Amino acid sequence: MREPDVLILGGGPAGLTAAIYAARAKLAVTLLETVTAGGQLRDTVAIENYPGFQSVTGEELAGRMAEQAKRLGAEIIGFSPVLSVSLAAGVKTVQTKKASYRPKAVIIATGAVPKKLPIPNEAKFAGRGIHYCATCDGALYENSVVGVVGGGNSALEEALFLTNFASKVIMIRRRGYFNGAASTFEAVMNHPKIEVLFHRDLLDVSGGDSVESALVVDTRTGEKTGIALSAVFGYIGTEPKTALFRRDIALDEQGYILTDETLRTNVPGVFAAGDVRVKAVRQITTAVADGTVAALNAEKYIKQGQNMAGA
Amino acid sequence: MEINIYTTPDCSMCKAAKAFLAAHNLPFTEHDVSASRQAAAEMLAKTRERKLPVIDIGGELVIGFDQDRLEELLGL
Repeated sequence: MREPDVLILGGGPAGLTAAIYAARAKLAVTLLETVTAGGQLRDTVAIENYPGFQSVTGEELAGRMAEQAKRLGAEIIGFSPVLSVSLAAGVKTVQTKKASYRPKAVIIATGAVPKKLPIPNEAKFAGRGIHYCATCDGALYENSVVGVVGGGNSALEEALFLTNFASKVIMIRRRGYFNGAASTFEAVMNHPKIEVLFHRDLLDVSGGDSVESALVVDTRTGEKTGIALSAVFGYIGTEPKTALFRRDIALDEQGYILTDETLRTNVPGVFAAGDVRVKAVRQITTAVADGTVAALNAEKYIKQGQNMAGA
Repeated sequence: MEINIYTTPDCSMCKAAKAFLAAHNLPFTEHDVSASRQAAAEMLAKTRERKLPVIDIGGELVIGFDQDRLEELLGL
């Protein structure tokens, strides 16, 4: 049984920042990461809105954060998915395949994953023309026509990234506008390889072994059209990784963790930071801010407990 | 046991898979499917899926970074 002061679940920017602050507070910190440090950052090729960097890859930014946390004494354990947790009782326990943890405080920073496209043939063509990671799978569609579904920054950025391989990128957008940064939107609208279909929603995909066409509907007229393409990349938002916490931690209807201003959850000593919690803006900068707040309040919680024990 | 891994340079899960193999001191041969058409064709012949990484462990295929399956096949 390992007993760190603070156990951080998740190694994205929120978790890594929490590790930096908790380590600087001289707390014993362990961070468990499912794969390797970075979270959703790992799939971001160019970050141009993180202060201090004109442009930086997600891998480099995550690597620097992880290195800083380690140098300050935080223990980062990769390839350690959490199997089960018990957080509601006074003693908190977290179980991985290789170890059990009984920390004084827990910071949940497990983040979010891309939402699956809500179309009938999603499962049939997953990995065969239905994709969620352009940096992972985009290169396999060289000289092909691919679609991108979504209306935020991710959809715009990934569409631009896919132009490196695809002969044509068709953006399928339900509404008549995008929510992303104006500069990215402009780059998309001016790109010779990108065609934007406003007011179109993806109904389904079809094909043999892999996707060969998409069926879209005009959201204003209801008119349906088929488009020949080899793949559709979905960026229709994210869903939180909170399945393990459902029993102990209060979540909203979408499964995001409810916190107060100090990032406390409904359970004393359990905090949530980053994309996993209910919040209005999900950016790297806001994840970093969350990590800070959660770690400082975890420190306060632990010290209060010690004072009470000493009194 | 021969391990072949099909990757692209920007693919995070490919990096994770390589880091995982390296952490267990397992030698592997990497094939960049974005740089070599032959490698891409070879991969697609083995699996009809276009999801990376593809890890070929002595003929058994793991598509995507699936730690449980890798541990099972590699006896870790």
